[in-house]
Order: sequence, then C-alpha cells, then structure tokens
Amino acid sequence: MVEPKLYRSVIEDVINDVRDIFLDDGVDEQVLMELKTLWENKLMQSRAVDGFHSEEQQLLLQVQQQHQPQQQQHHHHHHHQQAQPQQTVPQQAQTQQVLIPASQQAAAPQVIVPDSKLIQHMNASNMSAAATAATLALPAGVTPVQQILTNSGQLLQVVRAANGAQYIFQPQQSVVLQQQVIPQMQPGGVQAPVIQQVLAPLPGGISPQTGVIIQPQQILFTGNKTQVIPTTVAAPTPAQAQITATGQQQPQAQPAQQQAPLVLQVDGTGDTSSEEDEDEEEDYDDDEEEDKEKDGAEDGQVEEEPLNSEDDVSDEEGQELFDTENVVVCQYDKIHRSKNKWKFHLKDGIMNLNGRDYIFSKAIGDAEW
Amino acid sequence: MAYQLYRNTTLGNSLQESLDELIQSQQITPQLALQVLLQFDKAINSALAQRVRNRVNFRGSLNTYRFCDNVWTFVLNDVEFREVTELIKVDKVKIVACDGKRFF
Repeated sequence: MVEPKLYRSVIEDVINDVRDIFLDDGVDEQVLMELKTLWENKLMQSRAVDGFHSEEQQLLLQVQQQHQPQQQQHHHHHHHQQAQPQQTVPQQAQTQQVLIPASQQAAAPQVIVPDSKLIQHMNASNMSAAATAATLALPAGVTPVQQILTNSGQLLQVVRAANGAQYIFQPQQSVVLQQQVIPQMQPGGVQAPVIQQVLAPLPGGISPQTGVIIQPQQILFTGNKTQVIPTTVAAPTPAQAQITATGQQQPQAQPAQQQAPLVLQVDGTGDTSSEEDEDEEEDYDDDEEEDKEKDGAEDGQVEEEPLNSEDDVSDEEGQELFDTENVVVCQYDKIHRSKNKWKFHLKDGIMNLNGRDYIFSKAIGDAEW
Repeated sequence: MAYQLYRNTTLGNSLQESLDELIQSQQITPQLALQVLLQFDKAINSALAQRVRNRVNFRGSLNTYRFCDNVWTFVLNDVEFREVTELIKVDKVKIVACDGKRFF
C-alpha cells in the first residue's frame, strides 16, 4: 500500500536536488515551484489520497473540503481557465477537447460510458485528420472536467473515471466536446471557432436503465472547414445538446433526429433498407463508427452494438469500467521455472492496480503458463 | 546510473508531463528536463530501496513472458495480489522487471 508520505518525500527530494540544476541553468526558482505544483496536481488527480505541500494548496484544499467535490473541480476548472488566456497560444492546432468523464454518481449505479472504452477506442482508432470522437456523458450530476491548456493549443484532458482514477488524455486531433460553456477564445482567431455547448443536466429522476445519455459529437477542424457532426442522442430529453459555434461552424440543434436516419443497421434482420443504401452508408458508418462511442439511442443501440462489438478487442470492458493497464514496475531477484510453473521473486516495485498505486519492497508470486 | 524503470509510473509520468508542459511554454530547456528526470530516477530508486518495507504475494496464470536485454516482461491473467492488509484482484497485469543485481 502506498503512503502519500513516501511520494511526498520523493517529490521533495527531487525538487531540492534539481534546485541547483535549475539555478545553474539560470532558470528562475518560480519555474521550479511551478514544476512542483504541476507535479503535485497531477498526482493528486490520479489518486484518491493525497495532500498538498504548499500552503496555498493547503488553503485551497480547505476551501475545497468545505464545498462539494463537484464545486471543487469546478473551481479548478475556472482556475485553469483563468490561467489560460495569459499564455500565448499558437495557432497551429486549434483543438479544444473536453472529455466528459463517466458518471461519478456515488448513489446511482449508472455507468454511462466506460472511460476505458472511450479512451481505448480513441487510442485504437487512428485519428485521422478528419475526425475524432468524444463521448459526452451526462450523469445526473454534471461533473466538470479539468482541462489543461498547453501552449500548443491542445488540451490535456483529465478524465476522471468512475473510480476516481484519472487519465490524462492528450488528443491528437481536434475534437471538441463541451458540456459546459467554455469561453476559450484563441487570440487572433482566424480559425478559432469557439464551440459552446450548453447541456441541461438530466433530471435526477431518470431511472438507471434509461439514464444513459451519450451524445457523441464530432467536430472537425480542418483548415477553414469546420464540421459538426453530432450523432444520435439517447436521451429522454433529446433537445439537450446544442452546439453553437462562432465563426464558420453551423449551429446544430436536435442533431439526433437529423442524423438518425442516415445510420443504418448493417446487420439488420428483416431490415427494409436496400443493399445500396447499406453500401453507401457503410463507409459513412465506418467513419462514424470510429468517431462514435457507444450510443444509447434507441436507433443507435441496435446499430451500434454489433459494430462496436467488433471494434472492441479487449474483453476487459465488461469487467472494468476503465482501461487501466495494471502495471508493475520492479526489479527481479530471481525468476524460476519448472515445466510450466513459474515463480517470481521481485523487489522494489511500484504497482498500479485498478487505478491505484501500491508499493512493495518484496513480492513473491506463482503462476502457471 | 539508476534505472529509468520508474518513469512509467504515476509519479514518473506526472513528472514527465509537468516537465513537458514547462518545455512547451519554454520555461525550461529539454536538457534541463532530462536532468530532472535523471535526478528523479536516483531519488525514486533510493526511496524504494530504503523507505519501503512491505511484502506482497501474488498468484495467477501466466499469459506471456519475455526476457530481453536482461529485462523480464510478463503478462499475467486473473491475478490476486495479497498483502497483509488487503487483497487486490485484477484480470490482467503487466509486470516489467529489471535485474535486481544490476551491477554484478
């Protein structure tokens, strides 16, 4: 089991050791502090247990403890937002990505979109310049997403999975999916559309079965072209997502119904659609398939499930809600094998299991091959 | 030189990402970031060797094994990690292990 103190002490040691290096290089101490803050923040986001070092952070923590976690994240969110405009943002890639995490409802057992699937899907599928998909999950309680806008204009998304594990997702392409109104304007916005999507939170009374609202949307930034391709929406209240974008984008409302007819069942049993339509739509389906995540729409569900099941390679999905590759990094003292019986003698390891960190000084294991 | 093995951990990755952000904003040079990472390697290696004192047992089925450049990589399935305090079950785990007696 890992202690936060150990991590703290490591951070302290490293920071202190590199302070000299920083000064030798002529780098300001403030940069060092910024490194430490960034480091601690990321650590904090990835684990449930943590504490802050600097007083400022402690104050922040106290304030956060008074509020609810959502507000805390909201605070972080605003904090990040306020910090953003001060940085110069090159216009290379106007990508804004917001990944809405899966449900964090403690009470509701709803699992809207497994983050694992989302990230896995997004990582697996080659994100062409055309489109990347992001799923928008609308839990009963809206959980804001923390974004970190780097100077390259790319957002490092911090996705918080249901169990609290965090994934830092750095999108390659531009995909914008916003659950909140994010007024991020890029300076000199020649091609900087701002996509604002206001989603009304779901009413709390949605039953688990129908409470799944996934609204994948695709927003393409290709040069001067921006396309908004929302996909079907599975929601009791379909008119929730409205994408309004300044600039060249087309505001779209009620996207689900418009798109639904275009997506046909490929495996349709007793389907009345003609083969020609299927062929025509198949490419489109494939494209959308890469872009879409699991769809909760009534139409989408029947169509998407078989297609999605082909996409999914791993069989973890049904078992885990997130795609943490459980990794153990360690050193081996002795590895032994007899026929197909293996024995492992390991030491000094750091494990990340189910999203949480553990450390051991010695580990002994058995396995059959 | 200490193993760079631990860079792909939560601690190491968050450090690398933070450094990358600073490089992006041109507040530090890549060379400096490398120095920081090397320092991190030393610190984490020594911290693990000295400050951690607990044992873990595990059992599972071995899916794949690889031994290359004195580095073992295993993929195990249906593994149970047992510590005195708790039991952790995972369906799949990847173990990367460097030689513990590296200098000999």
